[in-house]
Amino acid sequence: MITVENLTKRYGSTTAVQDVSFTVQPGSITGFLGPNGAGKSTTLRMLTGLTPPSSGTATINGKKYADLPNPGRIVGVMLDAAAQHAGRSGRETLLLNASLLGVPKTRVDEMLEAVGLSHAAKRRVGQYSLGMRQRLGIASALLGDPAVLILDEPANGMDPEGIRWMRGLLQDFASRGGTVILSSHLLGEVQATVDRLVVIGGGRIVANGSLEELLAGSGTLVRGLDPIGLNEALTAAGLRPEPLHDGALRVDATAEQVGRAAAAAGQILLELRQSDGAGLEDLFFQLTTPTAAAA
Amino acid sequence: MTTLTDVAPTTPAKHRAEATTSLPPVRGQSFLKLVGIELRKSVNTRSGKLLIAAIVALALVAIGWELTHLPDGPATADRFLGAASTGVMLLLPVIGVMAMTSEWTQRTALTTFTLSPRRVRVQIAKFVSALIMSVVVLTVTNLLALAGTALGGAVGGDGTSYSGLGGALAGSYLTNALNVVMAAAFGAVIAQTAVAILVYFIAPTAWSLAGPALFKDNANWLDVFGAFGRIADRNLHGMLPETLTAIGIWIVLPTIVGLWASSRREVK
Repeated sequence: MITVENLTKRYGSTTAVQDVSFTVQPGSITGFLGPNGAGKSTTLRMLTGLTPPSSGTATINGKKYADLPNPGRIVGVMLDAAAQHAGRSGRETLLLNASLLGVPKTRVDEMLEAVGLSHAAKRRVGQYSLGMRQRLGIASALLGDPAVLILDEPANGMDPEGIRWMRGLLQDFASRGGTVILSSHLLGEVQATVDRLVVIGGGRIVANGSLEELLAGSGTLVRGLDPIGLNEALTAAGLRPEPLHDGALRVDATAEQVGRAAAAAGQILLELRQSDGAGLEDLFFQLTTPTAAAA
Repeated sequence: MTTLTDVAPTTPAKHRAEATTSLPPVRGQSFLKLVGIELRKSVNTRSGKLLIAAIVALALVAIGWELTHLPDGPATADRFLGAASTGVMLLLPVIGVMAMTSEWTQRTALTTFTLSPRRVRVQIAKFVSALIMSVVVLTVTNLLALAGTALGGAVGGDGTSYSGLGGALAGSYLTNALNVVMAAAFGAVIAQTAVAILVYFIAPTAWSLAGPALFKDNANWLDVFGAFGRIADRNLHGMLPETLTAIGIWIVLPTIVGLWASSRREVK
């Protein structure tokens, strides 16, 4: 379990992270979402003891990161897949970490196998693609069989097959009681993988909740045979439909409310569903634009 | 949220430890373990291997030159040791600098300090590892020099002389240790390999040139080369306070500042 309380980081007069608080529960995958420069990496670095916070605390299973006797056995961390020595082989990189974590060498080969790097184990990391380095970073994070995973932009540089593989791996990890936080600015990736979201913009938390809760806020999408008639019918029912460019309407109401209002007015529906994808994207931009963050 | 429930197994969640092969119990990281890891890091990269190979090659070239330019009389160990150590003394401190800087320039500090968050311990392990490394390399080049002496004696036909060998060896190890610690300290303060090496080579030399002009005899107090020379001679010539002051300013102070700086430095 990860607990972040009132974490703040100031650099001179600029505040990179301001009063950030959230928790990540075991058995869940939390997406830490925000545009570039929003303070995601700074928060994760404070969580892992790499950056001293100006104020606030961050704990993992109730302990400060630096107080964990051998952190790699509790927390698997990958903050930057590119930060590996180009002159070492992938296997040597993991062997060094295995020795520090006190896990046997067989574990290294197991992990190389698990991330699909066995064939490249003896090549120098300098020759790896970014996707391969991400896999090596994930192998390194999993090496000590941790209960918690902290991953900064793990999907960065991965091909669609790799992203899908990682999604399965993380969901499996969480289903066995693991705690996962992963940051991203790629909405689609986060939406399909995580079950909770912490959205950060301009250094502040602007949304925090389950994916369902946050998506619910973006309402219902409805499309009718007669868009203008449907719009009038919904408005008459006291709902506030918002026309989309393709003739559909987005309504801040449940599907049942929209369906009943349409039926009462005799409107024929072609599509009625929870607004998703684009909705999250809208939410994301809305929440992270400076005006929304300041409000 | 639909995707997760679609994909996640429907069997009840097991405790995560059951699903993987059992690993040994969690132990803290002993200092010895940290030193071992740092030693391994200094030889398992290409640049590390090249540096050591270059030092040994340089010693071989110097010994070769001595062998082809033998003076009259017996081959003296002193002469071969001196020849072999000139280049070595120049390059060995780079091992010290790189031990402290390469983590930051290669950005592996990110991994190192997430796996071992108590940074001062790691940094001290790096000092110790750099010292061990340099002693090993120096021993190799010293042995090469002694082999060169024996060979020179055989080739020249005038025999060999090992007079003053003990003193020369003791001097070379002492100076080496001081140089490496000083270089490592500079590397800890300045986390950029090239800049740290430059400052390490230029600053004391600049002082030894400018100091006497500015401070006359008082410059001795900060002349680290003079101090090294006296320590290598194992005869302080009655200049104990000066020697201690120079060592304090050029070695102890940068070590403390370096340990402090690298424990506070933000890892990116």
